[in-house]
Amino acid sequence: MRRVGGVLAALVLLGGVLFAVLHRAPADDGGITVVKGVIGSEKREFFADPEVVAELKAQHLRVDAITTGSWQMADADLTGNDFAFPASLSPAEEIRAKRGVSGEPVRPFYSPLVVIAHAPVAEVLRSNGLAARAESGVWTFRMDQYLDAVRRDRNWSDLKDVAGHAELAGAVYVTTTDPATSSSGALHLAEVSYLANERRVVSDEAGVGRVKDLVRKVTAMQGDQKTSSDGPFKDFLSNVGSPLVLVYESQVAALTAQGRPTGDLVVLYPDTTVSSDHTMVGLTDNGKKLADLLRDDAKLRALAVRYGFRPQGDPGAFGTALNAKAGPVFAPDLSAAGIQQAPVPAVKVLNQLVDAAKGK
Amino acid sequence: MSMRTVAGRVLLAGLAVLVAGCTSAGPGPVRTSGDPVAPTARAGVLRVLAGSELQDMAPVLEEARKATGVSVQFAWTGSLDGADAVSSGRADGKYDAVWFPSDHYLRLDDGGKAKLATESPVMVSPVAVGVRTSVLGDLGWGDGSTVTWAQVADAASAGKLSYGMADPTRSNSGFSALVAVASAFSGANSALTDADVQKASPSLKQFFAGQKLTSGSSGWLAQAYGRAEPGRIGALVNYESVLLSLNRTLPADAQLTVVRPTDGVVSADYPLALLASAGQSERESFQRLTAYLLKEDVQRRISETTLRRPVTPGVAPAAGLPADRRRELPFPGSKAVADGLLASYQNELRRPSRTVYVLDTSGSMSGGRLASLKSAMARLTGSDDSRGTTRFRDREEVTLISFASRVKSTKTHSVPARNSGAELASIDRDVQALGADGGTAVYSSLEEAYRVIDRQQSTAKDDRFTSIVLMTDGESNEGASADDFKAFYQGLPSSGRAVPVFPILFGDAAKGQLQGIADLTGGKLFDGTGSLEGAFEEIRGYQ
Repeated sequence: MRRVGGVLAALVLLGGVLFAVLHRAPADDGGITVVKGVIGSEKREFFADPEVVAELKAQHLRVDAITTGSWQMADADLTGNDFAFPASLSPAEEIRAKRGVSGEPVRPFYSPLVVIAHAPVAEVLRSNGLAARAESGVWTFRMDQYLDAVRRDRNWSDLKDVAGHAELAGAVYVTTTDPATSSSGALHLAEVSYLANERRVVSDEAGVGRVKDLVRKVTAMQGDQKTSSDGPFKDFLSNVGSPLVLVYESQVAALTAQGRPTGDLVVLYPDTTVSSDHTMVGLTDNGKKLADLLRDDAKLRALAVRYGFRPQGDPGAFGTALNAKAGPVFAPDLSAAGIQQAPVPAVKVLNQLVDAAKGK
Repeated sequence: MSMRTVAGRVLLAGLAVLVAGCTSAGPGPVRTSGDPVAPTARAGVLRVLAGSELQDMAPVLEEARKATGVSVQFAWTGSLDGADAVSSGRADGKYDAVWFPSDHYLRLDDGGKAKLATESPVMVSPVAVGVRTSVLGDLGWGDGSTVTWAQVADAASAGKLSYGMADPTRSNSGFSALVAVASAFSGANSALTDADVQKASPSLKQFFAGQKLTSGSSGWLAQAYGRAEPGRIGALVNYESVLLSLNRTLPADAQLTVVRPTDGVVSADYPLALLASAGQSERESFQRLTAYLLKEDVQRRISETTLRRPVTPGVAPAAGLPADRRRELPFPGSKAVADGLLASYQNELRRPSRTVYVLDTSGSMSGGRLASLKSAMARLTGSDDSRGTTRFRDREEVTLISFASRVKSTKTHSVPARNSGAELASIDRDVQALGADGGTAVYSSLEEAYRVIDRQQSTAKDDRFTSIVLMTDGESNEGASADDFKAFYQGLPSSGRAVPVFPILFGDAAKGQLQGIADLTGGKLFDGTGSLEGAFEEIRGYQ
């Protein structure tokens, strides 16, 4: 009996270890709480950073996150998750409304939408009045001129100085993600609709009616669109993508902040752009705790800059960290660089714009 | 059973898992830090529905298993069939992830899009034209770096360039090429519309006049290129990576020069996509595997192993991958346009097919087997087929040879170029009238099929994709022997020897005999023992 008991005790002990190794239940080694959530793909590397992991661990948290398109999150079954962290306010509002989440949403950091191009293409844009370069080296993308080119069906072959660029053929357009699934695509529509509505945010059906042809056009000409911001950026970096791609500034700045090469990539700030307010919706107390930490913890703020984000609570951190690095030129202060922000329409109107863009 | 015994068994089972976990994780390299999901390598299996092109990732995935503890279990299918499986929900619970050259087609379906939780491009390869280097010289195309799709179409319609291309209704490489040429020929400046497809049709017909080989998979296409008589096939349309990899095994006189037409390409970016239905443990395995595959050293290894291009910044592509850029042609943004283009290809643009079915109706087929055959054939005459994947195509010539101890009947149907419903119904009536009795004379019946084709070719003097499907449920026990058939086949003129036989394994068929027939004629053996319908449908990609 005794021996059997000993074997059983050993098995129980092994079983306990086994359970910890295989399942890592909440509150495993030393009171660490596992916080589960869904994040936009642009934040994957931030949460994977060993220093972020270490700082969260020091705060007794471990994040287990899966990436997905921001608008996909709003429609997804989020059961079992502690938080959702889309790339903009609108899907966050949608998630809060659908799940009756109380309390203010937390916006730990933000990042403006930018257009990326290879240097020779940026020069073609400049010589055709579609882009400008300031003395500071900051490039801007001239949205009114661009939308005018779209309205008039301008092709690359209509522009001057395109000879020798085999990749510059067909219509001039900016490639975005699918506005129905991804926040960068939807924010692009916010920016286009604001400009098309004489610099007023679209707020009603009459406004949607005024801009719907243009938002449909900038979407339809792209054909199939990727669901998440990671896709078009990776395509661009692998040298096969479209010449003009809309991405988050953070996607490029992350590479630069980490000293990783981006070749001849140029960052063009649309002269009227939209910033993505990376907005955290805490679905449980643990999720809310994580949201507060991301906003307030000095170490996590500094680490956010490593991934190209601009911390809300520390406006100078981005420029300080990026200025010393080799690579594309960033605008440390957006308003000083003359870059205006388009307001984002209410969720209901934005949804109408997305439907108009998709021809629904 | 006492509680204690139950607990003991559970623990023992758990222990076995632990041991198995250690074993399969293997003595791989120590994990690098930075992956928060898995502090230690753990056993995990990811069931992945994938395009067969990804077989070349085997060495990388073996290293991934050692480093992450995640093993990938592949099930292979074509890109578009895979998209159907995901959209319809058939992949839910059966697979954890999908990995195709592209999710373009899948994304066009809102239902399919919702089935994917997340996707991450892993590597990139444009669809290109591999031109036999000697042919390149004859065409005056220099090193191939300035060739356009229009030049390819001109050479094809002038009979100077014959090529192989996979079936666009099944394979992403064929579909991408079809989109690229339709864009180029229509002069579309942005994503294709129905009007663009109409406008491109005459040029597309010229282009497809040169298509001499079709295939349901890019693997078989490469084999067929290898065994075709010298000079018969001058080019292959396929991924840049497949063409360059093929050069590693081809003899000097068959080497291919990769042409990426300067008017634009459609590229595959191989997104590894997690299904929304996947469980928690699989989702962790997915994250670990994706993070590993995107590491700089792994991306370099992928590029060198597969000759695809890396997606992680700062990683140089493998030697031999040219750096000059091409316009990336937009993919259609609506399923209606995509399906319309595919249906036009099948029913209007491509060279028509001559398809001969040699169907065993011996005594052993009676009952359930004959019923299976009839329902499988009925699928090919149905109308529920939006992109023209399965049914007999407009302009297709279909011959049904029913045999037992000898050929019982031979019936030929020509599906008209439009209003094909009546002829399809007539084919189905012939199929439903089949009855089973008698022995099994496989080889004699095949010989008759070749004679029928020879007569049809000399009467019509036309130029069609020609092939034979052989369905039998038993061993050949009457008529000509395997050796007789081999001698017969080798005595055929080259036009006859170019006709492959696609045998279907069914019932008590002799696998060795059927494999021998496939090998001799340059065909491919299909397994109908699981699903006869599935085999008949899959073969459509080769006809």
